[in-house]
Amino acid sequence: MKDAIVINELAKEYVRGSETIHALQNVNFTIQQGEFVAIVGPSGSGKTTLLNLLGCLDRPSRGTITVNGINVSDLPEGKMVKVRRQNIGFIFQSFFLLPTLTVRENIELPLMFSHRKDGNGKIDSILNTVGLEKRADHLPHQLSGGEMQRVAIGRALINEPKIILADEPTGNLDSATAQRIYDLLDSLHKQGLTLIVVTHNMDLAQMAHRVIKLKDGEIAG
Amino acid sequence: MNFIKLAIKNLMRRKMRTMLTVFGVAIAVAALFSLSSFKDGYEKQLTKELDNMGIHILAVPKGCPYEAASLIIHGGVIPKYLSLADLEQVKTMQGVDLATPMLLQQFYKDETPHIVYGINAADMQKLKSWWKVEGRFFSDDEDHVMVIGKNIAEKKNLQIGSTMPFGPNKEPFTIVGILDRTGGQDDEFHFLPLAAAQRVFDKDGLITTIAIRVKDITKISQVGQTLETIPDVQVVTMSQIMGTILNLVGSAQTLLISVIIVAIIICAVGIINTLLMSVNERIREFGMMKALGASGVDIGKLVLIETLFITISGGILGAATSIIASSLIEGFVRGIIPYAPSGQLISSDPQLILLCLAFSVVIGIICGIYPALRSARLTPIGAIRSSYE
Repeated sequence: MKDAIVINELAKEYVRGSETIHALQNVNFTIQQGEFVAIVGPSGSGKTTLLNLLGCLDRPSRGTITVNGINVSDLPEGKMVKVRRQNIGFIFQSFFLLPTLTVRENIELPLMFSHRKDGNGKIDSILNTVGLEKRADHLPHQLSGGEMQRVAIGRALINEPKIILADEPTGNLDSATAQRIYDLLDSLHKQGLTLIVVTHNMDLAQMAHRVIKLKDGEIAG
Repeated sequence: MNFIKLAIKNLMRRKMRTMLTVFGVAIAVAALFSLSSFKDGYEKQLTKELDNMGIHILAVPKGCPYEAASLIIHGGVIPKYLSLADLEQVKTMQGVDLATPMLLQQFYKDETPHIVYGINAADMQKLKSWWKVEGRFFSDDEDHVMVIGKNIAEKKNLQIGSTMPFGPNKEPFTIVGILDRTGGQDDEFHFLPLAAAQRVFDKDGLITTIAIRVKDITKISQVGQTLETIPDVQVVTMSQIMGTILNLVGSAQTLLISVIIVAIIICAVGIINTLLMSVNERIREFGMMKALGASGVDIGKLVLIETLFITISGGILGAATSIIASSLIEGFVRGIIPYAPSGQLISSDPQLILLCLAFSVVIGIICGIYPALRSARLTPIGAIRSSYE
């Protein structure tokens, strides 16, 4: 099996005033394609920083990150954006749907950024996957929390990424709704997607093949 | 989905704020549009009005040349006079084609000022060859007759043959002619035979000014210099009058322009502030967009399109409003400038409309560029997560 993500001697430091904050140090791990990995850790353990780096939204201070064979550690911004578009789908805890766009338009949004059009009824097929075909023309405020998260998942899938980064995807949902989201994520994983979930939720973490624990910017086990 | 549609939907999320910002831009553009169209229109109308006078030089009593000149074309009274002897001298001067005396007086009737011109009808018709009269003109030896401007006839509902009590002693004067509309100040005046005007206003042998046409229009200033050798006479040429009026109006315009520049700066700062506020409110949203594959350029583009929408809508609204409300604005401007020629001062030149729209685009780019750069440089995930960590 190929490597989806390879992290090597990764470190990220921030300078705040005269103080240097070591957000991440000596982080090494490999995630294989098709793997389901949970990243857990208390607040301040470096999860946000790691998510930024894995999502190609920031650059490391030291070390390398390779995404699907591309070393993104010091790629120029333009190329980094391309890697992000082609490889990564993001899901957030607070959904972040645009309130004036319909379900269909929210799912379509990433296509606009990658300058593509909806060919072959891709949006319809995604609406079907996330079970929202009857809600396509609704606005976010007309949806339940679980439905909103399903829209967000659909939106993450539209660019056909190979890796899904989910940031506390069930943090705002009750347990029954959360279960439906787990099931949806699980089915996506079974279709071959690499799934990386950052979470406090141990139920979700237990579903993963592997759990990476972060503590004080380092891998704790 | 495209950037324009997304920008419109974003703006519709904050309808009130968007509308207020659009109004701000509209006011600035309307002010700019009105002032520029006024400036053009004013010079055009003033030139037309001075041309319409058919007079190249005015000889006035020494002492108050510009006031006199302004009053002569605008109507009014000056307290100094020339004599008929001065007229005879002027007539003999080299280069003078035609010189005709005028006595200007003013009287109040129903609390409105009426401007009276005592003239030599035959000379005046030569100077103003375009004058057409309904009825007839008077001859020099007639009395108790007058010709009136079209506007007075309409306002007071006067007809040929009507008699009106006239002058300080309310003598009965019969209207023998009504001037066809000239589009200038002549529409507002009463014209009497010179001798009759001198008698009615008790100014025997006195005249206010001498209107002069020169033989060769290129020699106006030379003829003017020759005329100034007559002791009582001061000469004002039409170009001097125009220059003086434009100077007077220029200072009023400078004041207006300063006010408008301040308005535009306030408006621009307001737009920048509104946009920055909206960028700050949407840091998480922009973070989400970046995570979904938007580049910094995409985000900046979105913010810039939103700004341009606001300023271009404001530009169109402002230009449209000032065209629709041009008569109101004209009335307002007439009230604050020292001299305004008759005729329409504010004209809606298509070039000017384009210029105003271009201006609103430029304002949009200037105001949008900083918020756009700021939003393009955001590093977003921290902001996204800060909401729940």
